[in-house]
Amino acid sequence: MSEGVVLSLNDLVIGYDEPLSEPISLEVKPGEIIAILGPSGIGKTTLIRTIAGLVRPLEGDFDLHVKRRGGLGYIPQRLGLVRHATVAHNVSLGARMNVPWSRTMFQERNERTQEAIRTLGIEEKAGEPVRRLSGGQQRRVATARTLAQRPELMLADEFLGELDQHNVDLVLGAVHELVGKGTAVIMVEHHEDNAKDFATRIWEIKNKRFSDMSIEEWELHTSAGEEE
Amino acid sequence: MKYRLFGALFILFFLAWRTLDGLVEGDWGRLEGGLSNLGVFFSESMWPPNWSVLEARSYPVCEQDIEFFCSVGYLGMMETLKIAFVSTVLGFVGAITLSSLAARNLMPLSIALPVRIFLSAVRSLPSLIWAILFVIVIGFGPLSGVLAMTFYTIGYLGKLQYEVFEGMANDPLEAGRAMGLSRPSILLNIVIPENSNHLLSQLMFMFEYNVRHGTVIGIVGAGGIGYYISTYLKFLQYDKVFALLIIIFVVVVVIDLLSLMIRSFVNEEGDVRKPTWLNTIIAAKKKQA
Repeated sequence: MSEGVVLSLNDLVIGYDEPLSEPISLEVKPGEIIAILGPSGIGKTTLIRTIAGLVRPLEGDFDLHVKRRGGLGYIPQRLGLVRHATVAHNVSLGARMNVPWSRTMFQERNERTQEAIRTLGIEEKAGEPVRRLSGGQQRRVATARTLAQRPELMLADEFLGELDQHNVDLVLGAVHELVGKGTAVIMVEHHEDNAKDFATRIWEIKNKRFSDMSIEEWELHTSAGEEE
Repeated sequence: MKYRLFGALFILFFLAWRTLDGLVEGDWGRLEGGLSNLGVFFSESMWPPNWSVLEARSYPVCEQDIEFFCSVGYLGMMETLKIAFVSTVLGFVGAITLSSLAARNLMPLSIALPVRIFLSAVRSLPSLIWAILFVIVIGFGPLSGVLAMTFYTIGYLGKLQYEVFEGMANDPLEAGRAMGLSRPSILLNIVIPENSNHLLSQLMFMFEYNVRHGTVIGIVGAGGIGYYISTYLKFLQYDKVFALLIIIFVVVVVIDLLSLMIRSFVNEEGDVRKPTWLNTIIAAKKKQA
């Protein structure tokens, strides 16, 4: 294992029955923000779900160098919220992780929950069931859950969808706070502008080919594609 | 599509009729005069209901200010309600523990399968047989009733619950697993709150079921209003039996309304309109319509 690496993919081939990519080998370091781009149905979600441990790789493997409990934060495409529970309950699920046992444990969990709710601007909805919230508000709840968790690696699948620009800035600001504390972020993103503004690296999947690029390389690659 | 549905229903009805014909061996003559016999029996033996079941019993002497609280109807119904309440609560706790072990999306097959077999075994005995077993083992009285209903509740609710758990959306479970929540934590903080509407509905249904079946198990000596029904049947006092049946009917309707009221706090309908007694009853009427 390389020093300061949260995730390493070793000739990883993703897919369910058929491979969706060529073998992928790379490393992710703390504080990196990676946006996965590519057309729909190409395997972006499968890659995220494989790293989250929900889908078995077809070939190769990957090493997660994070705590077994609470080291990984995950926002699925459908957000994974408990719809009949309150906003506060959902956010507190994240705050259960990464708080060591102590006499002040419950107080600390509560503080983390409240802080995450405040950061995402959903204080007024804290006592309401998630099912009553709009799609955009639900996305903020899912982000608040991960914020309260403070994971070492955050996986997010299209978590900026349905958000207006103000809320995109709010959510990305909150995620930046996490990144500042050393969290690495891997996110599936459809809007290239968001990826360009926010990410430090781009993973692109196209025709089963996987490319790992810096933002500058990706911009060059995109403009070259447009000229062709 | 509509015609296919009607066709399928017609075939099912025909099959049911043919099966019934086979069961009665074509002897439909037995039904002759059945309806008039029922009318005679009802008008001569059951009607009018004898409401003396709501008056104080002659023995033991009533020490209450209001006679009603010493009546057979009140005491029997209260005992049945108590048996149903305790056995529903105990059964619900037992069932939720076992159903979380039996759900395929929460546990591996090696654990889920034996628990499912256990639940099937518990469920395969009707509450009446459980009651007879417990009356034999620990004797007459409400404790036998409580144990019988608890076991049956575990078997019955256990199956309903694990089917609900298996039908829930996968994404909250996946999020919980990926972030490292333990299995008990996933059950308590994700599975139960997410299915609260179904669980409450099943809980209320089971309570109502246990109240109704509490009357049946009373007949074999396991306590409750069924004990009095059994006694009146023995002495051919059908008018008193009818009065007790009306009491049971009223209680079951009240439980049904309570169930609607409680469930409206957790279902989406409650989001639009805050539940009140009035709109609970209106909703019930609308459903019937």
